[in-house]
Amino acid sequence: MKKLTRRTFLKVSAGGAAAAGLAACTPAAPAAPAATAAPAAATAVPAGPARGGTAVIVMDSDPDTLNLGVTSNYSSGDVGAKLYNGLIWVDTNFGIKPSLAESWTISPDAKVYTFKLRQGVTWHDGKPFTSADAVYTFQEILGKFHPRSQALVKRMKSIEAPDANTLVITLVDPYAPLLLQLNVFEAPMLPKHLFDGQGDVLKNPAGLKPIGTGPYKFVEWTKGASVKLARYENYWEKGKPYLDNLVFPIIPQAANRGTALETGEADFLASFYLPLTDVERLSKSDKLNQKRGIAFPAIYFMMMNNATPALAKKEARQAIAFAVDRARIITQANAGIGRIGRGPFGDGFKWLLDPAVDYSKMYPRDVAKAKSLLDAAGVAAAADGTRAKLRLVVDSARAPFVTAAQIIKENLKEIGIEVEVQAVERAVMTQKVYTDRDYDLTLQSFVSSGDPAIGYHRLYVTTTTRVASTNATGYSNTVVDGLFAKAAVTPDQGARAALYVEAQKILADEMPTLVLYDDDTVNFASKKLAGVFGAIDVRDRWEDVSLTK
Amino acid sequence: MTRLRTPLALGIIALFVLLALLAPVIAPYDPFQGGQDALKPPLSPGHLLGTNHIGQDILSQLLHGARVSLAVGVSAALSAALIGALVGSLAGFFGGWVDGVLMRVSEFFQVLPRFVLALVIVAFFGSGTLKLIVVLALLSWPQTARLARAQILSLREATFVDAGRLSGMKPLQLITREILPNALAPVVIAGSLDIASAILLEASLSFFGLGDPNTVSWGFMLNFAQAYLRQAWWMALFPGMAISIVVLTFNILGDALNDALNPRLRETV
Amino acid sequence: MWRYILKRLAQALPVVLGVIVFNFTLIQLAPGDPVTLLVGDYPATEEYTRQVRADFGLDQPVPVRLARYLEQLARGNLGFSFANRMPVGELIAQRFGPTLMLMLTALGLAILIGIPLGVIAARNRGRLSDWVAQVGALAGYSTPDFWMGQLLILIFAVALGWLPSQGMRSARSVATGMQATLEVFPYLILPAFALGFRYIALLSRITRSAMLDALSADSVMGARAKGLSERRVLIAHVLRNAALPIVTVIGYNLGLLIAGSALIETVFSWPGVGRLLFDSISKRDYPVMTAILMMVSITVVIANLITDLVYAALDPRVRYAR
Repeated sequence: MKKLTRRTFLKVSAGGAAAAGLAACTPAAPAAPAATAAPAAATAVPAGPARGGTAVIVMDSDPDTLNLGVTSNYSSGDVGAKLYNGLIWVDTNFGIKPSLAESWTISPDAKVYTFKLRQGVTWHDGKPFTSADAVYTFQEILGKFHPRSQALVKRMKSIEAPDANTLVITLVDPYAPLLLQLNVFEAPMLPKHLFDGQGDVLKNPAGLKPIGTGPYKFVEWTKGASVKLARYENYWEKGKPYLDNLVFPIIPQAANRGTALETGEADFLASFYLPLTDVERLSKSDKLNQKRGIAFPAIYFMMMNNATPALAKKEARQAIAFAVDRARIITQANAGIGRIGRGPFGDGFKWLLDPAVDYSKMYPRDVAKAKSLLDAAGVAAAADGTRAKLRLVVDSARAPFVTAAQIIKENLKEIGIEVEVQAVERAVMTQKVYTDRDYDLTLQSFVSSGDPAIGYHRLYVTTTTRVASTNATGYSNTVVDGLFAKAAVTPDQGARAALYVEAQKILADEMPTLVLYDDDTVNFASKKLAGVFGAIDVRDRWEDVSLTK
Repeated sequence: MTRLRTPLALGIIALFVLLALLAPVIAPYDPFQGGQDALKPPLSPGHLLGTNHIGQDILSQLLHGARVSLAVGVSAALSAALIGALVGSLAGFFGGWVDGVLMRVSEFFQVLPRFVLALVIVAFFGSGTLKLIVVLALLSWPQTARLARAQILSLREATFVDAGRLSGMKPLQLITREILPNALAPVVIAGSLDIASAILLEASLSFFGLGDPNTVSWGFMLNFAQAYLRQAWWMALFPGMAISIVVLTFNILGDALNDALNPRLRETV
Repeated sequence: MWRYILKRLAQALPVVLGVIVFNFTLIQLAPGDPVTLLVGDYPATEEYTRQVRADFGLDQPVPVRLARYLEQLARGNLGFSFANRMPVGELIAQRFGPTLMLMLTALGLAILIGIPLGVIAARNRGRLSDWVAQVGALAGYSTPDFWMGQLLILIFAVALGWLPSQGMRSARSVATGMQATLEVFPYLILPAFALGFRYIALLSRITRSAMLDALSADSVMGARAKGLSERRVLIAHVLRNAALPIVTVIGYNLGLLIAGSALIETVFSWPGVGRLLFDSISKRDYPVMTAILMMVSITVVIANLITDLVYAALDPRVRYAR
């Protein structure tokens, strides 16, 4: 079972204010006055963690590539976060911490970012890391090949290196999430000397035998079996990492992943790879630590195609909200993991919640009410009791969605709607839903990436292009569009919250999309591992991890 | 023992067909009806064989699943047998380019295993019971055609055919009246084995998540069971056993037919 | 003989070409755009999508891609996997070893267990043991192998804890060379049994019927009449004659084993070609898919050819005629 998406998943955001108090950093809003981050405070551990040992980190499939600059694949990020460094990293409270950038200043107009790069950093092949590498990485790799960062680089007017340890990024317009987005997953620093003049970046051998500045260096990648890394002795953070080796076995069969952890064969299983059906059993193990809920908020929902005659009226869509047993979907399709959808934005961002927007009060499960709403919408019953036939499209590789579809089919049958479940492969699903909009209902999920403006607007905003992972319902409301546009540029969180509450009230009433549940991540680590779960992304910061005896 | 084989196999098949036909009547629940009683083990009150992860009754699903498995197996094998017998006898009778084309096509199907072809086609074009039948039939007929062709080739020169030809029968008449009835034995045997392999193939595809979620099939039950192997073994055990028994029965039938109709073909499995 | 081999291989060429064309035709007809799987799950800009498409040559019409593919193929280049971002040849080379290991072990098990079972059944023809062996073989032949795999995991890995449930070796293993190869052994047992199960059944059936045919042959009667011991009759005459159909069945199933291993490799997380095929289909990784289908068809052709050669060697009466 995989969560969020099968192949590509961007856990760390394109930036933005998160619930936990980055309010001043809303997109397009000027950032807080020139901030200087403190150099990496070597939080001295009294005795020092034990050194040595091998940690085994489960993955579900081969990385796309180990050139982290050209992919947003989850497994690539898993390995890549240990091989490379970004300029910054993000801690569990969404705090931005220095990595290859030792410190930085931001000009008063919030357009010029000047980074002081760490000195004495070397690539795994021994060559020094300099600002020229950074400039090259942004201009020639991220700006051209990274699925998300190419848009980020477009916001940059210039990327300059006045000296070997200084990087100056000048933005076209202020863009506060910039720093957040310079993490290793979206802006890993890559070695210029291995790419410059070496032809096609995508086919560069460094994608198979990567060279980074990260705490671990590449040893071996046996396709379909495992990736192996070893401690980089000359890592810039002296004394780190603590572990000798990292091994990433590839275990495609979901049920086997939990077993590997139980038997001690593996030490770490991230939520993304975890079969939910195993959570209960693994929770009982006294050999494992469990960590819930560190990640950016994400919602799981059912889009309803407004172009479908039976779904054209809001009463019909409300009827479906009354009929679908969302609690049962969480219990049975999701093994009880997840928080029931509270409203159009879920409940991941506490600051924009409002008592007036609460599905549990607005749409408690009520079959009779649903039927009367269908009557009101003119979706009348035929002689055999059938009111409509709808196609529910799901990605066949996402087992919880296939199961949820069965439950929804059963729920809607009670109100006279016959559902045909179309479990198709992801490539086909994307075409049916987003390109052709040849569907009636579909189960999808979006990750917020730290701010509703980045991750959630796209679900409701008027969308005419047929691009994947956008609003495919055809729903269009200029009032909502206006509220979103304003919220995106409003710096004050309280004022933003008011705008979002207003938008949510409209959306909860017009119901273009029914939010089923909020993601609730569950990660498992062997109790022998110390120092895990140090970053907002569980894949990051493995330089602090050690094995206790 | 051997003499009992055929009636025993036919009896079991008849039983399965009966259960499949009567499924709506005898199944204790609607196979799609789930509820809060999820993951109940066998012999739970009201659920003889337990329930699955969304509270659907395993026994009811098994009974309804028999409909899909049998329908897919029998229709696919029947269509394959019809197409195969027709094409094979035409090729065998006329020879020439008809024969050449047939042989090339069947070679193609020989070098690409049916399962692989089915996997590619169903993954690309989606599955539904009808689609599955068509795909399986399309992938199975060349085998039958080769068999029929071989049989025709050996019969073409047989004396009773010559007699027919001398008495002025037209080629089509010759094929339908004289040759086909005599060439039928291997086709029937192959058909019986085809049913077995079609049921297995359907199960394998469903296991890969390529089944049709709008019907209850045994393979689809196994697909879900995979994730619950540790918690709910009964979700995997019963549909797996059902598949084995039905496939086994058709294989035994094929065997018995083989011995009865055509002792010379014993080694073709 | 060489002329015969060359002729057979030349005859196989159009079939392999047919496999490629078939593939490209399917790709042309199939819904689903691989580029949507490559651009990530955040709304991608049109420009980026276009560029990714062009980078992997997916902006060309399928006939052009087919022509290019054939041209590259003629130079021995299998193309570039866009899902794995590496040359297809290298990728398959890495994954082929494990599949071969699994396949040969399964086949070995089938031979070592299936043939003796068949011999025993034939010698006890009509008795209860024969009947049990026959039904057992048919039951084995009728059991879905992936389900068998799951049962084996449940029993031997989960319940008894005797054998590992997945993978090819321990993730913590630091062994190399011979040591590493030996370490695979416990991991190989369950998948090899699950894959070989059907073939054990198949071979024991074939052996039994071939033995029965051979036992009734004149030469055997003659040998018995000459007063040879039953054991010598069995080995010198019966098994020798029965070898032909047995070899045929082994040979003709060799190529199919690759395909059959897709399910088993998935159930046991075995890093082989079968699983790669399945992955490449769902990722629409056309170059990999085409290459594997081609490889399967070539394996079948070669296995059949070798079978025919062995057949001819065993039985001088068979000529290289077609």
